[in-house]
Amino acid sequence: MITLIDTGAGNLASLEGALDRLGLGHVRAERPDQAADAGPMVLPGVGHFEAAQQMLRERGWWREIPHLVADGRPLLGICLGLQLLAEGSEEAPRASGLGLLPGIVRRLGPGVKVPHVGWSRVQQHTAHPALPDPQESWLYFVHSYALEPGPETVYTARHGRPFSAVEARGRVMGFQPHPEKSGPVGLRLLQAALAWMGADASVPEAPCN
Amino acid sequence: MPAKRVIPCLDVKNGRVVKGVQFKALRDLGHPVDLARRYDAEGADELVFLDISASQEDRSTREAWVRDVARELSIPFTVGGGVASVDDARRLLRAGADKVAVNTAASLRPALVSELADAFGRQCVVAAVDVKRDPDLGWRVFLKGGTEPTDRAALPWLQELCDLGAGELLLTSMDRDGTGQGFDIQLLDRASELPIPLIASGGAGLEIHFLEALEHGADAVLAATLFHEGTLPIPRLKAYLAHNGVLVRI
Repeated sequence: MITLIDTGAGNLASLEGALDRLGLGHVRAERPDQAADAGPMVLPGVGHFEAAQQMLRERGWWREIPHLVADGRPLLGICLGLQLLAEGSEEAPRASGLGLLPGIVRRLGPGVKVPHVGWSRVQQHTAHPALPDPQESWLYFVHSYALEPGPETVYTARHGRPFSAVEARGRVMGFQPHPEKSGPVGLRLLQAALAWMGADASVPEAPCN
Repeated sequence: MPAKRVIPCLDVKNGRVVKGVQFKALRDLGHPVDLARRYDAEGADELVFLDISASQEDRSTREAWVRDVARELSIPFTVGGGVASVDDARRLLRAGADKVAVNTAASLRPALVSELADAFGRQCVVAAVDVKRDPDLGWRVFLKGGTEPTDRAALPWLQELCDLGAGELLLTSMDRDGTGQGFDIQLLDRASELPIPLIASGGAGLEIHFLEALEHGADAVLAATLFHEGTLPIPRLKAYLAHNGVLVRI
């Protein structure tokens, strides 16, 4: 069972629709005690770094997420969710991130339109056991800040400069694009990432005559 | 460099997609989810839904179809029409819209744009602006679906929207809208100098019109009838654009 961390600001409907289409069971959790007993957790997010962080604090997630991850629970951050997993962000210099992924999130630009809205190609940066070489696939991005490519970067994209599109450290992963908004390619990546994190497809059993 | 986007625009009234000329009978084109699925499959990069329902009661039905669209669609979509407060926007975003478009309410109370940007991030805020050429103002801003002239000149207003926190501009040339004679290129030249993405709307009739708009600084092109009627299928348009050197998602 996949636990969707509900920060109150995020848009969960699209993600839930995508998981349904993939046949993956999921539950919304406003607080850690509503999380499923096992399985991957997904931290989606739109909005401002500090506002999202505040909401996660109020709902008890900010304290609990590092414990859950230390206990081996896989965690996938999407968009702002990825940024919250990093060490910090220029968007909120006074606040720190969860520090589960390396690096500081920096503002895109100068010299390009910000926010970076739309479809950009991604390239493989480091081979990963679960994620295939994207071969310049198009994914959908909506963001103003991004992590710089580093040793734990799996895919990169470019907007003015290269930035990290997918990060992975153990079973903690982050997607800067929205796989649930990136057509069939995005769905396949989401499926691959979640399968690697241990999500079970609740495919009905085939009858064996 | 993100791909240039091709965006079908759908007018919705009382939960149905309609095609209509003002003051004339509206033709029912189907449920938003069915149209959304079709455009998703055809390779549209994004959808814009403009809810032209007149009353507040009609608008309350839209959360239901926005939720249905969000669950079915694997590309992003914007919803606009009568968004006048952070609360209005929150309901749409909670239901699954990726962005909200504001128009009349933003002109009447510009602080709305900043409030939305502060609450949800500027990437969620599309400022829709309808303009008409004007001897005094260059281009004049109109409200309420183009029925009500204002004293605003378009270009300074676009700049102001940008400063207030709009994440994108959806700029419709009323002179060109429905003519099929091409986008207002001079308008696009000026508006694309602003530092946020620009969606060109109004006037598309042929493939070359889209190419012109994109070559003149638009980041995305929007059309309605041309796509709805199947006059110009999206795969054909994208193949044409790619053939002419435009970066599109195929």
